[in-house]
Amino acid sequence: MLNSVQRAWRSVVRKPVKSLLLFLTAAVISLFLLSGMAAGQANVLSQDTARQAVGAGFRLDNNEKNRSRRYSEISERIGADTEGSLEGVHQKKMETAYGTQWIGWADNSFETLKLPDIEALAAVEGISDYNITTCVTTVRPVGFKRIEDPDLDQHQDLGCVTLLGNRKMEFDSNVLSGNVTLKEGRMTGPEDRDVCVISEELAAENGLALGDELSFGDRHDESGSAVQRAEIIGIYRTKQPMAAYMSGDTFRSENVIFTDLRFPEKAEGAEGDPCFEHAYFQVADVDRYEEVRAAMEQVEIDWERYDFIDRNGDLSTMSSNFNDLEKISGLFVAVTLLAGFLILSLIFLFWIRNRSRESGILLSLGVGKGSILGQLFLEAVLISSLAFLLSLPAAPGVSKLAADYLVAGQQKQAELQKAADADKVADGGRTESEQTVTGVKIAITGEMAGICGAGILLLTGGSVGVAGLFLLRKKPARILSELS
Amino acid sequence: MILEARDVSYRYKSQKDRPVLEHMDAAFSCGKLYAVLGPSGSGKTTFLSLLAGLDVPTEGEILYDGEPVMAKGLREHRKRHISLVFQSYNLIDYLTVTENVRLGGKKEPGKLLEGIGIGPEFWKRNVLQLSGGQQQRVAIARALASEAKVLLADEPTGNLDEATAFEVTAILKQIAHEEGKCVIVVTHSRELAGEADEIIRIGPAPLS
Repeated sequence: MLNSVQRAWRSVVRKPVKSLLLFLTAAVISLFLLSGMAAGQANVLSQDTARQAVGAGFRLDNNEKNRSRRYSEISERIGADTEGSLEGVHQKKMETAYGTQWIGWADNSFETLKLPDIEALAAVEGISDYNITTCVTTVRPVGFKRIEDPDLDQHQDLGCVTLLGNRKMEFDSNVLSGNVTLKEGRMTGPEDRDVCVISEELAAENGLALGDELSFGDRHDESGSAVQRAEIIGIYRTKQPMAAYMSGDTFRSENVIFTDLRFPEKAEGAEGDPCFEHAYFQVADVDRYEEVRAAMEQVEIDWERYDFIDRNGDLSTMSSNFNDLEKISGLFVAVTLLAGFLILSLIFLFWIRNRSRESGILLSLGVGKGSILGQLFLEAVLISSLAFLLSLPAAPGVSKLAADYLVAGQQKQAELQKAADADKVADGGRTESEQTVTGVKIAITGEMAGICGAGILLLTGGSVGVAGLFLLRKKPARILSELS
Repeated sequence: MILEARDVSYRYKSQKDRPVLEHMDAAFSCGKLYAVLGPSGSGKTTFLSLLAGLDVPTEGEILYDGEPVMAKGLREHRKRHISLVFQSYNLIDYLTVTENVRLGGKKEPGKLLEGIGIGPEFWKRNVLQLSGGQQQRVAIARALASEAKVLLADEPTGNLDEATAFEVTAILKQIAHEEGKCVIVVTHSRELAGEADEIIRIGPAPLS
């Protein structure tokens, strides 16, 4: 007696036309699923004219979207209206004259680039050297005067100077761009500890020379007892004043003091808890620039945290950090699954209704309903699998189209939002740099294909099961009487 | 006695006050051809489906070899004890002649087909390429492929011309007499009924 596999195979091979609708539906579902997943994992290629690696190098920054999302997620885990600290995020309640106020902030452990990630990238073949630059760190000058402009409004000024630590100062972006040059002495290097390089204006104002020491106090320490000293090993000059990070003399160009990498964290009373803001990787051979980029992109680090920027300001932004692209892609996949399930169920209901005669014959021959459903399932799996396999070569092209469409929609939305926000006053938070999307890089991975294949199989199984209820509820005698 | 209907009644759930069959008794033996006669709506096909284990009587029971068919289950009864032939042949349209016969059971299809006059030149053809008479022969061959001792046929000659109907009747008679099977045929055909060893008449259900 022919078993369900033999019957299924013959049915599919000998009556292919009846399977055409299922084949096309399965192929479309497969393409949509792959497109949705690929768009959710896409690299949105964009250009940031404000940030770029100088020379033959690459730059690594934190991604602002990712930072905001991580902050929100951790804050939610701490709980609304709950005091506490988690993974570098802190929430605190304060009683003020205006009632209860909540303040939240993130410390260095949250803000910093991860040192192991930087070191992993630095170890890639083709990288000859690398630098790490700390976050802008404000400390009180102790025993020396900073440069001030009495004509400027200083009511929001912190009364501090700015420290900028570097692993290797010669790779600091201000130095690489040629704006900062040495007047005397030398720049900081990886082996240095407790050293600094000051501006010629600051040296002149305080009568400082190489070998002198500067003292800095933690601006949070009200007692003023926590003081750190750094020896002056260089004096620099600038062609143009360095752009101030914020308003106030604390951040003015002349008050920027370059130090060794780990000094800023000591000076602000957070030794062992550094804040690394940028990393720079120097490519040894300019001709191998693209090859080195590809090798670096293969390094397994948490890329979602970062912007990886090249010498043209081109960067790859993971879709999860690009507006709501990952969410939209997820929604796209969910809608495809739901619609696919409904459509497939209807197709199988149609199949079973149209094949009730065949079911009746098989039932009268003593074939079980399970075996008949099994045959339908196998037929569906054969057709869906073929549709899935044939959709794979088309998937990259369709996925690219879908991702381009989704990104364009997201970009338009962002532009509208930007136009709407144009006249609003900034809230003092971090600002995002200006990025222009230049393309979308998409890849269908083996994992995506596996998930899609499993999804198609589950959809097929589920919808055959649902449609099969129609068959299971029917009495053989009823089918027999219909046949008669 | 191979198959027995004992005090069998049947009512549709929606028409409980109007029985299709009421307190019916019948007994069937191997080696005989039975014709079940009755006017349309008298419950002939219902009776056949109860004997085939395709439905369950509202009252009474069907026994196979002295044992209620419910004891081992209806599917088992259909699979092991019963083979069926329909008026409209009911062959699977994506299978060849041989494959359709193989659906019925494990017996060698070639022998069975030759036995009822279907030559090897037809064996690999799709069943839709055969004439009505040839299709009915294939359906009979499928019924014979199983080891079942009872062959139930619902209007097997209903769609055939006179000459072919005569040939099919002869085959059914041959199956009963030479192969020792119990062949029960629901029919309107007087010619077929005339060839039967026994005739069972089912009267019209009384209107309430």
